[in-house]
Amino acid sequence: MSIFHKLKEHFSDVLYIFRQELMQVIKDEGVLMFLVVVPLGYPLLYSWIYNNETLHETPVVVVDQSHSALSRQFINDCNASPDVDIKYYAEDLDEARSLVSRQLVRGIYLIPTDFSERVSRGEQGVVSVYCDMSLMMAYKAVYQTAMVEAGRLSAGINIKKAGNYTKREDAISAQPLAVDDVAMFNPSGGYGSCVLPAVLMLILQQALALGIGMAAGTARERHRNGQLIPADDPHYRGAYRIVWGKALCYGMIGAVAAAYLSMAVPAMWSFPQMATGWTLFWMLLPYTLASVFFGLTVSCLIRYRENVMLLMVFVSVPLLFLTGVSWPESSIPGAWQGVSWLFPSTFGVRAFIRVNSMGASVSQILPEIRFLWIQAAVYLGMACLVYRHQFFVSKAAKPSAD
Amino acid sequence: MRYLTQILDIALRELGILWKNRIYGFCMIVFPLVLVLFFTTMLDDGVALDLPVGVVDQDNSATSRGLIRNLDAMQSSRVVYRFANITEARNAMQEGKVYAYLYIPEGTASKLMAGRQPKISYYYTMTCMTAGSMAMKDMKTIGSLGSAAVGQATLSAKGATPAQIKAALQPVTIDAHMIANPQGSYNYSLTTVFVPGILMLFMALLSAYALGMEMKFDTGKEWLARADGNIVVAILGKYLVHALIFLLVLFLYQWYIFDVLHFPRLGGVWSIVRLNLLQVAGGLGFGIFAFGLMPSLRMSMSISSLWSVLSISMCGSAFPVAGMDAPLQAMSWLFPLRHYWMIYQATVLNGFPVIDVWFHLVALVAFTLLPWFVLRKVKNAMLNYVYIP
Repeated sequence: MSIFHKLKEHFSDVLYIFRQELMQVIKDEGVLMFLVVVPLGYPLLYSWIYNNETLHETPVVVVDQSHSALSRQFINDCNASPDVDIKYYAEDLDEARSLVSRQLVRGIYLIPTDFSERVSRGEQGVVSVYCDMSLMMAYKAVYQTAMVEAGRLSAGINIKKAGNYTKREDAISAQPLAVDDVAMFNPSGGYGSCVLPAVLMLILQQALALGIGMAAGTARERHRNGQLIPADDPHYRGAYRIVWGKALCYGMIGAVAAAYLSMAVPAMWSFPQMATGWTLFWMLLPYTLASVFFGLTVSCLIRYRENVMLLMVFVSVPLLFLTGVSWPESSIPGAWQGVSWLFPSTFGVRAFIRVNSMGASVSQILPEIRFLWIQAAVYLGMACLVYRHQFFVSKAAKPSAD
Repeated sequence: MRYLTQILDIALRELGILWKNRIYGFCMIVFPLVLVLFFTTMLDDGVALDLPVGVVDQDNSATSRGLIRNLDAMQSSRVVYRFANITEARNAMQEGKVYAYLYIPEGTASKLMAGRQPKISYYYTMTCMTAGSMAMKDMKTIGSLGSAAVGQATLSAKGATPAQIKAALQPVTIDAHMIANPQGSYNYSLTTVFVPGILMLFMALLSAYALGMEMKFDTGKEWLARADGNIVVAILGKYLVHALIFLLVLFLYQWYIFDVLHFPRLGGVWSIVRLNLLQVAGGLGFGIFAFGLMPSLRMSMSISSLWSVLSISMCGSAFPVAGMDAPLQAMSWLFPLRHYWMIYQATVLNGFPVIDVWFHLVALVAFTLLPWFVLRKVKNAMLNYVYIP
C-alpha cells in the first residue's frame, strides 16, 4: 500500500469518527445539555445575577445619643452618600441590635452623648461603627462611608478653626498633599465585571470536559464489555485517528462556544470588552485545544459517565479560586499554585482577563499562551496514550466476546 | 416495630452499596475533607498580604522615598518594582506583575514645603477586587499620613502633646467594631459558605445518583420488596445512612474550623447542630425531588448539579441578593443553600435568636418534605421503568 493511500484511508477514518461522534452528541440529551445548553444558557444567567455590579444604599440604623447639630450633620452626610441609607433611628444599642438580628439593617452608627462637647473642647469625637460581617460588600459600604464622612467633617472643622482668607488656603490646609486614586480597568469596582470574565472561561473548560466525559460514558455503556472503543467497527483501528476524529468534533463545538462566550455574552450585557479579534484568537486557540485534550484525557480515566459529573462539578469552585480572580494570585500558597498548573482554566482565565478587561496585547500574555500550548501538547500526548491503552484493551477483549 | 426493622434492614443494605461503590466514599468523605483543607490553607492569611505593587518616583526626594517606605511597610503592599514612567508601569500591570502603582511627579517635595498642594496619584486594578480594594485601602492611609505629617510637624514644633495633635488633625474619628470577624478575614467568610455549599451539592447529587443507580442496575424492585412496597419506609431506610454520614462529616468540619482553627462564632453548639440537621435533610430532600421530577439518572443528576452550582452564587454571600434584580431575589428562595446561609450568619456567626430567621427555617423544612409530592412517581419508576443508556 502506498503512503498516499494510507494517508487517505487515515483521513477518511478520522472523518468517519468525527461524524459518529457528532451524531452521538446530537442524539444523547445528557451530552447535548452540557455541550450546548450549558454554554448557551449559563453565561446569560450568571450575567444576569451580577448585572447590577455594585451595592448601593445599604441600610443602617443610627443611635444618636448626642442630639447635637454636629451629630445631625454626620447622619445627614452619611445618608446623602450613595452607599449608605440611614433607615432607622434607635433609642439604644439593644434596640439597634434587634434590627440587625431581623436582617433589616447591616450596621449601627452609635454617636455617644459627649460627641459634640468633646469636639468643641478640642478633643476627639468618636463615632462607634458596628458592622455585620456576614456580607463583606455591605461591611465595606458601612465602614468606608463612616470613614469618609468623618474625614470630611474633620476637614470642615479644621478649616473653620484655621481662619484662612481664601478658598485655596482652605483646600491646602485641609489636605496639604493631594492624592488622586484611580481605579483602572473596572473603574466602578463592579462585581460582575470582575468575576464574569473568569466564569465565562471556566464554563468553556467545564462544559467541554463534562460533555466529552458523558459522551465517553455513554459509549462505554453501549459497547460490548463496557469498552470505550467499539472493537467491531473497522474504522476504529488506530488510537491516533480516534483522538483526531474526536478532537475535531469537540474542537468544532468548543470553537463556537469560545466565540460566543468571549464576544457575544459580554457585548449582550455590556461588560468590559477591550480585546481585539486577533488577540482573542491567539489566546482562545490554545485554550480551546488544551480544554478539549484535557477533556479527552479525563474521559478515558472514568468508567461511569455519572462519575465525571460528580468530579467536574465539584472542582468548579476551587478552580475559580485557583485562577486568582477572587483571591489574588500572589497570595495563593505554592502547593496550590502547582496544582493549578494542571488545569487549562488557570492560564485561560488569567489570559482572558488581561486581554478582555485590561486590553493587553498578545506579547503581554505570552507566558500564559506558552503554558496553554504546553498543556495542549501534554494533554494531546496523554490522550493518545490513554486511547492507545483503551485500544489494546478492546482488542484483547474482542476474542472473548465472540 | 415492623417498620423499624424494615428501615434497619434497608439501611444495612444501603451501607453495603456505599461500601462497594467507591464513588460514594470519595464524594461523601474524601472530597469534602480535601475541600476543607483547600479553602482553609488557601485563605490562611485571612486578608491578602504583601501584594506586589510598583512605584514611579520622578521626584527622588527624601519625602518621596519616605512615602515609598511607608507604602512598603503597609500590611497588604510590597514594593517590588520601580518604573521610569507611567507607560512602563501600566505595561507591568497588564502583564500581571503588579496590582497597583504609585506615581510621584517631579517637584512633590518642594511644593509640599511651599504649601502649593502637590498631587500624587495611585493607580490600582479592580480586575481582582480583593487585591484592588486592599491596595486602595493602603494607599488611602499613605495619602492621609502624608498630609498629616505636615500638620504634625508644625504642631509639635509649637509644643502640642500627642493627644492634642491627634485631636487637632482629626476632630471626628470612628471606632470600628467588626462583629464576629474582627480581622475582616476572608477565611471566616468564604470557607464557611463554600464548604457547606459544595457539601449540599454532593447531598443533592448523590441522593439523585443513589436512586438512579437502583434503576440502572434494576435493583429497585428488590429494594421496594424489602419495605413491602412501602415507598416511605424504603426512602427513610435508604437515606438514613446518607444523612448520618453527611452529618458526621459536617460535625468533623465544624470541629476543625471552630475548635482547631478557632473561627469566631457567637452562636452556641446547639445552633450548629440544629442548622446541620436542617441542612442535611433539605439537601437530601432536594435531590430526591429532582429525581422524582425526572426519573432518569442523567437528567436528575444534571438538574441537581446545575442547580447546586448556581446556588453558590444565588445564596448571596459574595454579591448580596439585595443587589440583584427583583425576579432573581424571588428566585433565591428556591435554593436550599440560600436558606442555609441566612440561618448560618444569623444564628451561628452572630448568635441571634433563630426566631428572627424562622421563614428560612420553614423553607428548609419544606425542602425536606418536597419528596412527598413525587413518592408515587419514584415508586412507579422503580417498578416499571427500564434504564436506557
